[in-house]
Amino acid sequence: MASTREIRRRIKSVKNTRQITKAMELVAASKMKKAQQLALAGRPYSQLMARMLAALADRVEESQHPFLVERPVKTRGILLVTTDKGLAGPLNANLFKLVMDIKTPAKYYVIGRKGSQFIARTKRDMVADFQVTDRAAFSEVKVAAEFMVKQYLEGVIDTIEVIYPRFTNTLVQEPTLRPVLPLGSLKDFVSQTSATAGGDARVAADTREILFEPSAAQVLEALLPFYVNRHLYQLVLSAKASEHSARMVAMKTAKDNATKLLGDLTLEYNKARQAAITQEILEIAAAQFAA
Amino acid sequence: MPLTLEIVTPEARVYSDTIDTVVIPTVEGEVGILPGHIPLLTQVAHGELRVTKGNQTQWLAVSGGFAEVEGDRVSILAEHAITEEKIDENAVEAAMMRAEQELRVAKNIDPQQYEHLQSLVRYSGVQLAVKRRRR
Repeated sequence: MASTREIRRRIKSVKNTRQITKAMELVAASKMKKAQQLALAGRPYSQLMARMLAALADRVEESQHPFLVERPVKTRGILLVTTDKGLAGPLNANLFKLVMDIKTPAKYYVIGRKGSQFIARTKRDMVADFQVTDRAAFSEVKVAAEFMVKQYLEGVIDTIEVIYPRFTNTLVQEPTLRPVLPLGSLKDFVSQTSATAGGDARVAADTREILFEPSAAQVLEALLPFYVNRHLYQLVLSAKASEHSARMVAMKTAKDNATKLLGDLTLEYNKARQAAITQEILEIAAAQFAA
Repeated sequence: MPLTLEIVTPEARVYSDTIDTVVIPTVEGEVGILPGHIPLLTQVAHGELRVTKGNQTQWLAVSGGFAEVEGDRVSILAEHAITEEKIDENAVEAAMMRAEQELRVAKNIDPQQYEHLQSLVRYSGVQLAVKRRRR
């Protein structure tokens, strides 16, 4: 049986661990709340965007806009959204599994330090990595989005896809591969958007002809890139919410484990102490008996 | 019948109210919307947005986006939008100075960054114009 001193030392170290994980849990919880709020705040915007696209879809014949035209895919463009820091449970590892499944030629664009380390380690073709702080401002994501769109238009990549942990709820984050560009034919795309945006995205009852200024084609030209930026932003927000949720859960588990371990150790310590006392009494008694 | 105006940015819903009339800055000039306007979808430019309700007029600064008029609902998607009261003149001025400074110094920064700074300067300019209108 371990000596009481050794057990005491273990207890102390486990207590420290518990304190740290508890603090990290609280921090993650508050960040999670903010991230979830941000993700929710973006929802009306997505809905409105979907409605506008719906209004357009009925009035613009299949256009030759590069965002809508599917071309043979030679190189895929993949945006990997990971965390900057670890200790978020299996969140990043699950994303990396998805990346490992990609066998076709692809170029990678990364948000988050963990992801860029992974891509570098596995010697994949990384074009750029971007930093997005916990505040996740639109302008930060926009830089990444516009860069990818530019490469897409130049023909460096033929698709834009995003790998990110989709936020379902605090306990469930699903690693997801989501194609963003090309959009496919406009109408299918709009009905799909309406469905995912949730809520009322149908073209309203007003059947009078819509007036486009300057022109339908021009509005489309401007609205689509805008939509892509916005869509990518929403995905990043979702990833942030996932990150903090995953971290909070991981830290909670660690804290609970520490508490349990502490209970076991305390029990063992008391047993050892009791054994030592009993031993001592026995010895004294034996000595007296002999005298 | 009053109009319903809704201004939404990626970060929040900035404005949502029933109003009498709104004047929107678009890429083709200002457009005034009254109840009964025909459906319209247009691009919003950097500029001042004017909302009239009763005999009160409120000013907002908006940067690029889209506006949709449909029935009696006016929806505006903007990258940024801020109501006059919320504009912090000093902060905006400082931000504008910083952006202008960066524009002057950096001759060969990448065009996107350049565009971003320019739009920042324009948006700041609009905010200041809105804020100072009162005086």
